[in-house]
Amino acid sequence: MSRLRVRLGYLVRTSLSGLRTSPVTTAVSVVTIGVSLVLVGAFALLLANMEELLGRFGDDLQVTAYLADGLTPEQIQELVRIAHMVEGVQGARIVSKREALERFRAGVGRGSALLEGLGENPLPASLELTLAPQHRSPAGMARVVGSLQGLAGVTELASGQDWVEGYLRALALLRGIGWGLGLILALATLLIVANTIRLAVFARRDELEILALVGASRAFVNGPFLLEGLLQGAFAGVLALALLYALFRLVLPGFEFGLELLLGGVAPRFFAPQEMAALLTGGAALGLVGSAAALAGGGRA
Amino acid sequence: MRDVSLRFGKGEFVFLTGPSGAGKTTLLRLLFAAEQPSEGQIVVLGRNIARLRASAIPALRRRVGVVFQDFKLLQRRTVEENVALALEVVGTPRREARAKVFAVLKQLGLQHRRYHHPLSLSGGEQQRVALARALVNEPEILLADEPTGNLDPGLTLEIMDLIASAATRGTTVIVATHELEIVRRYGKRAVRLEAGCVTEDSLDGRVRA
Repeated sequence: MSRLRVRLGYLVRTSLSGLRTSPVTTAVSVVTIGVSLVLVGAFALLLANMEELLGRFGDDLQVTAYLADGLTPEQIQELVRIAHMVEGVQGARIVSKREALERFRAGVGRGSALLEGLGENPLPASLELTLAPQHRSPAGMARVVGSLQGLAGVTELASGQDWVEGYLRALALLRGIGWGLGLILALATLLIVANTIRLAVFARRDELEILALVGASRAFVNGPFLLEGLLQGAFAGVLALALLYALFRLVLPGFEFGLELLLGGVAPRFFAPQEMAALLTGGAALGLVGSAAALAGGGRA
Repeated sequence: MRDVSLRFGKGEFVFLTGPSGAGKTTLLRLLFAAEQPSEGQIVVLGRNIARLRASAIPALRRRVGVVFQDFKLLQRRTVEENVALALEVVGTPRREARAKVFAVLKQLGLQHRRYHHPLSLSGGEQQRVALARALVNEPEILLADEPTGNLDPGLTLEIMDLIASAATRGTTVIVATHELEIVRRYGKRAVRLEAGCVTEDSLDGRVRA
C-alpha cells in the first residue's frame, strides 16, 4: 500500500512540476483545447436547446380532423369513437363551430371587429386528436392521418407533420456539422497536446534517461506525462465551461431575435450537471489521448 | 562485437580495458540491456538479454547499478533526491528511502552534502553521488563505464577504492577503463578488448597496453 502511495506521490508531484516548469507551453495548450471545447460546447448547447424545443413541442403535437357541416351529435360521437380506436390516438376533443369562432376571434385580437359582419359562422367543427407519447413523431402523425383519411364526415385532416419534419432535418444537419466540427477540432487538439507533451519529454530527456537506468518501468516514466495531458484537458474543460457560461449570460441575450427563430420563444437553458461533466471528461480524455499519442513507440533504452 | 565468450562470477571484480572503440562501452550496454545482441546469448542474473522483452528490462536494471564517466546527475535535484531516485522507482516508502540514502551517503563520506545540488560539488563528489545512486538498491552487479575519466589522479583512487569495496560485499563489479595504471594497481581480472574482440583475459591485471 505504501509503495503504491509513493508511486502515486511521484506521479502527481512530477506532473504538477512539469506543468509549472513550462507555464507558457502549458497555458497555450490549455487555451487551445479550451477554445476547441468552447466551439464544440456551443454547438452542443444549441442542439440540446433545439432538441428540448422539439420535446416540448411534441407534447402539443396533435392531428385536427375538420368535420363536415350538418353532422348530428350522434354522428360526431361515432367519429370520436372511431378516432379512439386508431392506434396512436390518446384523446379526442370536440371543438364546436362556435368554439372555433371564439378561438379565432381571440387570436385575431383587435381585428375581431371585422368578424361582426359575418352572417354565418364559416368555421367548421373539428376533432382535436392528441397522440400517445410514443406516437409523437412525424411517422406517428402520418399513421393517424392515414387511418382517418376518407372517413365519412371528415372533410380535411391537418397536422404539424411538415413543420416537425423540417425541424428534424435542420436538427440532423446541425448535428452532422457539430460532429464534423468536433472531429476536426478533436484531431487538432490531439496534435497540440501531443506536441506539448513531446516538448515536455524533450525538456526532461536527461531525467528520463536516468530513470530508465535505475529501472523505472514504462508506466512509471510515462505516467506523469499522461497525467499532465489529462490535467491540461481538464483545466481546458473548466475554462471552456466558464467561457460558455459567460457567453450564455452576457452575449446570448443580444441575439434574442435569432433565438426566437431557432427556439420558438422557449427560454434557452445552460448545460445540466451531467452535460458539464461530459464536457470536462471530454477535455480530459482529449488531453490523455494526445499525450498517449506523443509517448507511443518509446524505445528499448 | 564478435566471438566474445566471457563468464563473470558473483562478487568478482573485473576490468574491461582496451583502446577507444574497442567495445568496452558496448559490452557494458549489452549487460544492462540498453542494447540487444544481433546474435549469441548474454545471460545476466539468469535472464537472457537476447530474448528479454522490453517490459522485463526495468526489473533487471533494478538489480544492476550503473556508473558513467559524466555522472548523469540531475542538476535541479539535491544529492539526496538524486540518490533517492533509484528507490522512488521501486516504490520505497519515503522514511525508509531517506534512511537508506543517508546510510549509503555516509558510507561514501557524503552525508554532509546531502542537501547540496550537484553543481556545487567537486567532480569526485559528483561521481560519489552517482555511485551512491548505483549502490543504494544493493545491486547484484555494478557496472562502471570510465568512472574516473573526468577525475584528477587523487580522486581516481578514492573512487576506485569505493567501487572495489562493493565487490568485497558480494557485488559483481565490472569496470570499463582505458587507464592501465589502475588495472595493474588493483591486480584483478582484466579483459582486454580490441575491435570488438577479446584479445586477452588476465586474472592478475597484467594486460598489454
